[in-house]
This record gives sequence, C-alpha cells and structure tokens, in this order.
Amino acid sequence: MIRRPRVPAPEDFTGPSHSPLVTARLGLWLGVAFGLCFGTGLLSHYIQHPPGWFTWPTRPVNLYRVTQGVHVLSGVAAIPLLLAKLWSVYPRLFVRPPLRQPIRLSAHTLERISVLVLVCGAFFELVTGLFNVAQSYPWGFFFPTAHYAVAWLVVGAMLLHVAVKLPVARAALSTPLRRSGALPAATPGPDDRDSSERRAFLRTSVGVAGVAVLATAGVTVPWLRRVSPLAWRSASGPQGVPINRTAAAARIVVPPDWRLEIVWPGGRDSLSLADLAALPQRTAELPIACVEGWSASAHWTGVPVVQLLRRAGAPAGRPVRVTSLETDGLYAASTLPAAHARDPLTLLALRINGEQLSPDHGYPCRLIAPSRPGVLQTKWVARLEVLR
Amino acid sequence: MRTVRLLLFVVGAAATAYGGWLLLPQFGTALPWLIGGPVLHDVLVAPLVGLAGLALGRLVTNRLRRAWIAAGLLASATLLLIAVPLLWRPPSAPPNPGLPDRDYPLGLAVGLAVVWAVIVVVLVVATTVDRRVAHRRADRR
Repeated sequence: MIRRPRVPAPEDFTGPSHSPLVTARLGLWLGVAFGLCFGTGLLSHYIQHPPGWFTWPTRPVNLYRVTQGVHVLSGVAAIPLLLAKLWSVYPRLFVRPPLRQPIRLSAHTLERISVLVLVCGAFFELVTGLFNVAQSYPWGFFFPTAHYAVAWLVVGAMLLHVAVKLPVARAALSTPLRRSGALPAATPGPDDRDSSERRAFLRTSVGVAGVAVLATAGVTVPWLRRVSPLAWRSASGPQGVPINRTAAAARIVVPPDWRLEIVWPGGRDSLSLADLAALPQRTAELPIACVEGWSASAHWTGVPVVQLLRRAGAPAGRPVRVTSLETDGLYAASTLPAAHARDPLTLLALRINGEQLSPDHGYPCRLIAPSRPGVLQTKWVARLEVLR
Repeated sequence: MRTVRLLLFVVGAAATAYGGWLLLPQFGTALPWLIGGPVLHDVLVAPLVGLAGLALGRLVTNRLRRAWIAAGLLASATLLLIAVPLLWRPPSAPPNPGLPDRDYPLGLAVGLAVVWAVIVVVLVVATTVDRRVAHRRADRR
C-alpha cells in the first residue's frame, strides 16, 4: 500500500502530549515563566530609565541581583517549556480555515495572527536574550530597545491568547490528569495508558526546565557556581571579580594629574587620589550584578559618596550624575537616584578585596552602590555632578 | 468570566499595540529574527521531533525506558540550544576580551555526560527492580 504524501490534519496526531489537558498546564507554567521574565525585565528597564514616579530601594543590597537573576533564569526555564508547549499544540497548525463562513473565518484569522505574533515574539525574546548573556550581537538592531519592545508584544499577545482560550483552558485545568476510579487498576485500558503518558510528558517538560536552570544558575547563585556546567560567567577574574569592559576596550588613559571633580549648583571642588585615600574609608560587601544575569560579590573600600558631598559642602539627598573618563560608549555616565546618593553604602571605591583597583576594575576610582545594575556602576570616575 | 475576558482583550490589544509602536523604528532589522523562530520550528524542528519520536517508539518498546530516553534527548537538546551562543560567536558580534572566561565545550560535554549517566543509572535500577518483582511473582506461583 502506497500512501500519497499530503499535508497532515490535526486528527493525524494521536499522541497523548497533544491533549488539551497537557497544553493548558504547559501554557499555565509558560505563562508564569514569561510573567516573571516580563516583570523583572520591566523593573530592570525602569531602573535604567526611571520614569518620574519610579523609585527603586537600596536595600537589600542584593535586590537587583535577585530580580535580574530571576529574569535570566525564568527565560532559560521558558526555553524547554515553550518547545514543549509548541509541540503540544503543533497539530493545531494544520487546522483548515473555515473558508465558507466569513464571520468564523475572520475570527480564525485574527486568532492566528495573534498566535503568530506571540510565537514570533517568544522566540525572539528567548533567542536574543540568550545571545545577549553571551554578549554576542549578530544582528542589525539595538538589543536593549528591541528586546524591550518585543517584550510588550509578547505580553500583549499572551493576554489576547489567554482571553481567547480561557474557557478551554479552565475546563482543561479543572480536569484531573489522573483518572482515579474510572477503571480498576488491574485492567489498564487505553485511557489509563494515555493518562500516564500525559503525566510523563508534563513531568519531563518540568524536569528539563529544571535541568536547564540548574545548568546555568551558577552565574548568579553562589552555591551553584561549581554545579552549573553552562554558566556563561565564572565568579572569578582579576582581583576576584569578572570584568565586562576592560580599560583597553574603553580606551582609558588616566592623566597623571587626575583629580576627582565635584560640581553642584553654586560650587565646585576637586580632590586628588591622595586626598581621597586620606579621607575616612568604609568597607562594604556589595555585588556587581550585571544585566546579563551574572553577579559576584566583593569587598569594596572607599569613601561614601554622601560623605564626600557633605565634606565638600554640596547638597546631599539629590540625584548625582557620575561621569567616567570614558569618552564614548553607552555607559560612560550614570545617574545615581537620590535614594542611592544618600545611602552610606554607596561608595566611590578605591580598593577591591583589599587591593588597589586594577585599571580594568576602574582605577583610580569607581562607583559601587547597593542594588543597582552593573552597567550603572560607573568605572574610571572623573566627575560627580549634583543635579537639581 | 466574560468581564475578565473582555478586560484581557483590551489590555492585551493595548500592550501589543504599544510594543509594535516601540518596535517600529527597528522593525526592518528585527523582522528576520522575529519570523525566523516560528519558521524554523514549524518547518524543521517539529517534523524532526515527530520523526525522532516515531523512530524511538519503534526501537524501544518498553514504556519506562522510552520515557527516560525521550527525557534524556529533550534535556540534551535544551542544553545544546543554551550552549549555542557560548560555542558559536558569529563574526559580526564584537569581541569582548573580558567575557569568555570558561571552557564552554567542556561544560557542555560534562552537562550531557551527567544527564546520560543519570538516565543509565535510573534505567539499570528500574530494570533490576522489575526483574526482582517478576522473579518474586514467578516464585509465588
């Protein structure tokens, strides 16, 4: 018997993994993963581009480390969950459109478009996020803005999808996976086997998501450092902390007569490195927590920014613009919000883990503040400007 | 439920529109990366997964063994996907002297080895237990 090849129909897929009971549960878990990813991503966006109403606390000092770790790891967990979910609904791709009924056809088309947007966006976010943690950008768009825009697309399309599927999903979620009492245990029927295979598929999906998280979580969870084989960063580097941007890459030349400039409305001051070192120093254990999800703690020693401003006679408790010796580059300057500027743990650090900062760590001095993204912890600081 | 669905529709449509508006300036360059995922998945990945599943069903008849081997294949595929940007750095990506600070091929190999070692151990234990149970049943008769 020779079967002619043809486009498959949804009925051709008989595997238990295609059951709505499976799809709804995977959808729920994927929704949780995407929800966490979106929420923490939005926080990170607002920390870097704060709207007027937004404030971000300085305590606990590891707060950003945790939220960004959740962002990256929920994205990693979403990779196998998305693939499992798509496999579960793959037969639906072959549903024939109701061509003769214009109203149903237009509803069908709209739903397909919303699902297409959702799937396009979901793949885009996971793929670009994964390349970004490796700091690889093989595309023409600017990653942060594109990743942020598509995040809204995904969340919007996800809400539309939930709105469409809510009745089906609710019915599926309230149907137990295990059919207890339907059949006597001694005579396993086909239903029984399907039910156990459905549960096996779900268990495998969650298990693989767990494996994926475990394989990468070492980038930010200290006790998993030695466990995660695919963590994209080690916790070690020169002076105990990895480096993202080297002094050479940033083309930093520290002038021999380097002085820290402090500017505020109505006054200015400047200090040499010796002046800074002669001031009362404070040591704090603070993390460098990168937007790429990796993080590492170190003992930083330096002058609290708030003390520095008070000593100079500048007003404290206002936002402070921190400018680097770096002339080009996106992160040559950052603004300390008022809450961070008046926090005594916000340091202009001169030393890391007991040693003088190396050029790659920001010699002569760098900013280190609690609960902030690493890209805003400006290195090679040249100037502090108190804003109004 | 009707109100909830209506609310989801409105908020969802607004968020989608906002995202589209934000993406507009970069839409042209982002488009291949938006379309690429679903096309690659629907045309290549999903059919291959289906074929692999059919082949596995023919080759391994024991259900428990099949389930664990399938889990191992899925875990391996996921680890491979996560490792792609670490192993393959396209020439267009800027070099970063500070970044590659681990042996990624070794990490991937270790990850895969651990996954399959665990699965082999589970299957050996399960087979042994099965045999013992079968023996006991046979003894009773």
